[in-house]
Amino acid sequence: MPVESPMLHAVAVGSVDDGKSTLIGRLLYETGHLNADEIAHVEEASRKRGRKFLDLALLTDGLRAEREQGITIDVAYRSFDAQGRRILLGDAPGHEQYTRNMVTAAAGADVAILLVDAANGLTSQTRRHLAICAMLGVEDVIACVNKIDLVDYDEGRFTELADELRAASKAVDGPRITAIPLSALEGINITQRSDKLPWYPGPTVLEVLHDLDRLIAEEAFRMPVQWVTRYDEGGADVRALAGRITSGTVRVGDEVVALPGGKSATVSAIDVLGEPRDMASAPLSVALHLATDIDVSRGDVMAPVADPPQVATRVKVTIAWLDEAPLTAPARLEVRQSARLVPAIVEQLHERLDLDAMKHEQADALEANDLGIATLLLAQPLVVQPYAANREMGSMVLVDPGSNRTVGAVMVTEVLDS
Amino acid sequence: MSTLTELGTLDVLEAEAVHIIRECAAECERPVLLFSGGKDSIVLAHLATKAFAPAGLPFPLMHVDTGHNFPEVIEYRDWYVQEIDERLIVASVEESIAQGRVQDETGPRASRNRLQTTTLLDAIAEHQFDACFGGARRDEERARAKERVFSHRDMFGQWDPRNQRPEPWGIYNTKLRKGEHFRVFPLSNWTEVDIWAYIQREGLKLPSIYFSHQREVFVRDGMLMAAADFVERLPGEEVFTETVRFRTVGDATCTACTRSTAGTVEQVLAETRESDVSERGASRADDKTSEAAMEDRKRAGYF
Repeated sequence: MPVESPMLHAVAVGSVDDGKSTLIGRLLYETGHLNADEIAHVEEASRKRGRKFLDLALLTDGLRAEREQGITIDVAYRSFDAQGRRILLGDAPGHEQYTRNMVTAAAGADVAILLVDAANGLTSQTRRHLAICAMLGVEDVIACVNKIDLVDYDEGRFTELADELRAASKAVDGPRITAIPLSALEGINITQRSDKLPWYPGPTVLEVLHDLDRLIAEEAFRMPVQWVTRYDEGGADVRALAGRITSGTVRVGDEVVALPGGKSATVSAIDVLGEPRDMASAPLSVALHLATDIDVSRGDVMAPVADPPQVATRVKVTIAWLDEAPLTAPARLEVRQSARLVPAIVEQLHERLDLDAMKHEQADALEANDLGIATLLLAQPLVVQPYAANREMGSMVLVDPGSNRTVGAVMVTEVLDS
Repeated sequence: MSTLTELGTLDVLEAEAVHIIRECAAECERPVLLFSGGKDSIVLAHLATKAFAPAGLPFPLMHVDTGHNFPEVIEYRDWYVQEIDERLIVASVEESIAQGRVQDETGPRASRNRLQTTTLLDAIAEHQFDACFGGARRDEERARAKERVFSHRDMFGQWDPRNQRPEPWGIYNTKLRKGEHFRVFPLSNWTEVDIWAYIQREGLKLPSIYFSHQREVFVRDGMLMAAADFVERLPGEEVFTETVRFRTVGDATCTACTRSTAGTVEQVLAETRESDVSERGASRADDKTSEAAMEDRKRAGYF
């Protein structure tokens, strides 16, 4: 039985000045997640800047540079409840040079809240954001056609933009679009409807967040081993494999295999943080006991004998390049995936994705915020699956061993060999 | 034995926190868990205990002791450490002052809150810690909302908010140079209500000052401050007795209490759900000095 996820990861994206921070401020304010002192703080900060209205953007733009420049430079996370459902909302900057933060915030997200300015319409940034959502497997987009007040609450303009958004998403094989006309400033269609839009019968942003179906996917069981717990029990040396189940369900009695080693054993007990259970599912942190002692260490992935992931030393990937210094092939880097860190070589850079023209092109280098297709050669075999089949087994980050910086976010598109 | 039950928000938050704690313990050479005896650090220590049970913790606890404590909290701290049978390191601000590393502030508004940074960084260097678990949450404060789970500190203990390591899919880059360290925040995505709900679910004990009691207080900047020997009062700051509880526990010179009759976890939880004032807004004088007070302190190496 699939289980409904109690938490929804959302990300808010949009171009600069689309009113994203104002929308988030409104969402928090109207769901009662803004306290009196925080509102007082925003009031004072608004006055200091000569604003004649409550500038809710000042709430999430927390850093000095952001307040000074009036932009969002880093991902901020806020939690709120949508009629009983927990929403973890990442606020991702729309500024082009901070696209890396958009990737950070949107990786792992279930739904994106995308802002579009009703007067300005879709921008290249909007299309780029849709393409990134598509690539990251974000299945749903709540497309907020904001500042509807600036186009006289015009139904025709909204319909036109909603159609454009659906077409743009279709062009990149992208997410489902739920378009909503709104005004973040006036608080229309965020949690409350307005009689200024009598022609709009659809849901508010909050209603969509509450109603969105998000079942924990019924994928095969996977658990990267983080830590081998050893302890003495009545004179016997007991070993348990501690880790977080990243997908699927494991049951006592299941035949599991430790990869890449390949040794298998039967699950004899499952300990869910002190509570013995006969089964456990993602995303719980557990400790597995095996009936026979096999060689397992940190970084190994536990999987069903009947349905194991692949083991490979060469993979084809999509890279979102995050670093200021460009990537050229060949490059010696390190790959961090689940509980493993292995040296890797970016063997070949095949193409760069031009998100504005929506085409692939030959490229010798990837600049910061570029997306490209490459082949990675791994120094040790990794347990992988294509990202589309299993997010956790198909995602990685690239680390520069010189600077220790996180320089790339990687999605496996094809497992080339073992 | 129970089978698959419906998954709640607390189950997911707990699983995430344990995952982070285990990652850090596996990847870092010498982690330490910062333990103040406050509710967040109690939840954190409890989660760490669960992450490795029935084996013990693979790292010690450390308290940065300002010397300006609520006695109930120190009593609790010592009881708790004995209860879980783990090792506690005490880094003392008094000692930093005695050694001339920092100078005690004087006057009615004197606080050792800022001085803690030096004591903390000195202790990190002395014990060669490369990771400090902290109980900070993103819902506490604007700058915290921007901070990563594995938050990098350079050799000077500084946080560079504009140059943070991305953490897509919750994959953490744990590489460090010598002398650098991480602040690791397993409770990043928890809210104040989650903390209280978890305390209730797990049946955790807390220091008594979290519950309603009678206390000698005075009013400063609209907040109720505890009257203590080491707090000098300004003219007109009259001491009176009030029924209060604390929402956070920090240095006694800058932690305020609120009027409350909530005497049990259930009652506190109900009050927290109803509250119209944020936890730091209600109780932390140190955040009110400027718009970016927390960011500035964090840049310098504060918790």
